[in-house]
Amino acid sequence: MGSAIITNNLTKKYGELLAVDHINLEIKSGEIFGLLGPNGAGKTTTIHMLATILKPTEGTAIVAGYDIRKNPKEIRKKIGIVFQDMTIDRNLTGYENMWINGRLYGLSGKALEESILELLDYVELKDWKDVEVKKYSGGMIRRLEIARSLLHHPEILFLDEPTIGLDPQTRAHVWDYIIRIKKEKGMTILLTTHYMDEAEKLCDRIAIIDHGKIIALGTPDELKTMVGQDIIYVRIQSQNGRVSGFIEKLKSINSNSSVNLNPPNLISISVKNAPNVIPTVFEIADEEGIKIIELKYSRASLDDVFLKLTGRRIRDESGSWTDFVRTRMRARFRRR
Amino acid sequence: MGSLLDPFIAMWYRQVKRFWRAKPRVIGTFIQPIFWLLFFGLGFSAAFRAGGRTGVFLGLDYLSYLMPGVVLMTIFMGSFMSGISVIWDKEFGYLKVVLVSPASRKASIIGRSLGDATIAIIQGLVILFFGYLIVPTINLLNLIPFLIVSIIMSLSFASLGIIIATKMQTIEGFQLIINIITMPLLFLSGIFYPVSLAPLWIRVIALANPLTYAVDASRFLLLGVSEFSFIFDITLLISLSSIFLILAIYQFDKATIG
Ligand SMILES: Nc1ncnc2c1ncn2[C@@H]1O[C@H](COP(=O)(O)OP(=O)(O)OP(=O)(O)O)[C@@H](O)[C@H]1O
Ligand SMILES: [Mg+2]
Repeated sequence: MGSAIITNNLTKKYGELLAVDHINLEIKSGEIFGLLGPNGAGKTTTIHMLATILKPTEGTAIVAGYDIRKNPKEIRKKIGIVFQDMTIDRNLTGYENMWINGRLYGLSGKALEESILELLDYVELKDWKDVEVKKYSGGMIRRLEIARSLLHHPEILFLDEPTIGLDPQTRAHVWDYIIRIKKEKGMTILLTTHYMDEAEKLCDRIAIIDHGKIIALGTPDELKTMVGQDIIYVRIQSQNGRVSGFIEKLKSINSNSSVNLNPPNLISISVKNAPNVIPTVFEIADEEGIKIIELKYSRASLDDVFLKLTGRRIRDESGSWTDFVRTRMRARFRRR
Repeated sequence: MGSLLDPFIAMWYRQVKRFWRAKPRVIGTFIQPIFWLLFFGLGFSAAFRAGGRTGVFLGLDYLSYLMPGVVLMTIFMGSFMSGISVIWDKEFGYLKVVLVSPASRKASIIGRSLGDATIAIIQGLVILFFGYLIVPTINLLNLIPFLIVSIIMSLSFASLGIIIATKMQTIEGFQLIINIITMPLLFLSGIFYPVSLAPLWIRVIALANPLTYAVDASRFLLLGVSEFSFIFDITLLISLSSIFLILAIYQFDKATIG
């Protein structure tokens, strides 16, 4: 698989502020890549530069095979984007919004009409197609925006905080679409978020961004392994088997794992990556004739990673009221 | 060719559709010009007749003199306001949708301006037919050339609106800017009194105002009298409008966000 996006010291300065600071990233074709970071980290600025609507101060990027500085027009044909702020014309219907967008991408006639209906169906808005967007809920608008971004079959899809300001149920709904889009359409997706759960659930790989810099990069598991230890709790039937042999073998699973026996029958094992180790735990138990009654594990979270790297936390409450207000009002209060 | 026509159609359609949806606005736009004709026009017409001063207005009754200008005023306001509404697209994000698409920005912005012009001219026509009821002497045989003059004038002010909107960094002072720009353009245009009788400084400003030539040319077409020659009016109208349009296209073409 090739690279969908490669950035080369991509930088944006606003006056003295380094909003994006010499970013070097490579995003593979077909993956969902997440930019995770707190407010003001530079996520939107990065996406806007990659989507060719904002000029970098320094550095450049290759998107879908073209240089953002030299060939923005070719890139525009191959990307779809859902902006962080709402960008639907509220005075038009869902269908009309889609139609205008289709024409902007050179689609027309019967083919356009069919694509629109198919996509509206895909996001379950077909019944609402002739209703003015004014009357849509936040989640419906988001789904319409997603449908709109898919109209011209982009190779790369940018989703800037796709579930910001939505309630938990709607967020889960939008996640399902994103997962389906990846599966069914095989698109490369670059999404930004400041929700840990979202990044973890959706992304194949994640770059953690703070103050315009990439401070960590990897799969969610790799990132968590970087800092924290997962802990596996095993409850065994104490009478049977060779408990001490079991514990010795558990200790040898990986070099820096530690095993504690909390009498009489609870064992905690700290390991790098719990899901990978669990089958081994069962095998060992079998060999030593131990019966496992219960097994649980807790994982290091991405927030632990962020905390370890920066000494701060990413705000982690999902779908909060402040987010809602922030998205709706930011356009008005933003001063340039 | 399709690649230029598509965004043109898309943006034209959007402007027309949006306007049609906003019914109270449609009606609202007719009220002001009708008030001007009735309250201002009829009143002053009677006053000037009583004072025996009709000669000042190119030999016309004041109401007749005022009529073409009020029609153009309607079109002027409509197109300028639509042009400047790009600021709302900027503020509420729709502009990004156009900028991030591969569509020709030139075609998009011309489509938008012509969409605005279409609406403004329909509004103007309504006022024209209303005016015909109170000033039946106007020559409707020249309707087509009058429409062409109107479209050109409309494009120039939709463009002016777009230039201002793309230049503006915030919507702060939006209303103030509208007043500061529209009031002088309206009053220094020969709509209400002949430019040639005004003090020099007013004349200088009026001569740089495309509206002046559109008003004078329309008066010629609809009433058969004018201050300047028709050819002169048309030449200057087209020249000034082209400058505005080219500036607007240039501005929009290089627009990025932030
Ligand atoms: N047009 C602008 N002019 C000046 N500064 C800006 C502008 N746009 C963004 N910034 C600043 O650049 C930094 C990065 O902003 P950006 O919008 O990329 O952050 P983000 O990670 O998307 O955050 P959020 O969670 O708020 O969306 C912030 O400090 C922001 O205030
Ligand atoms: Mg952002």
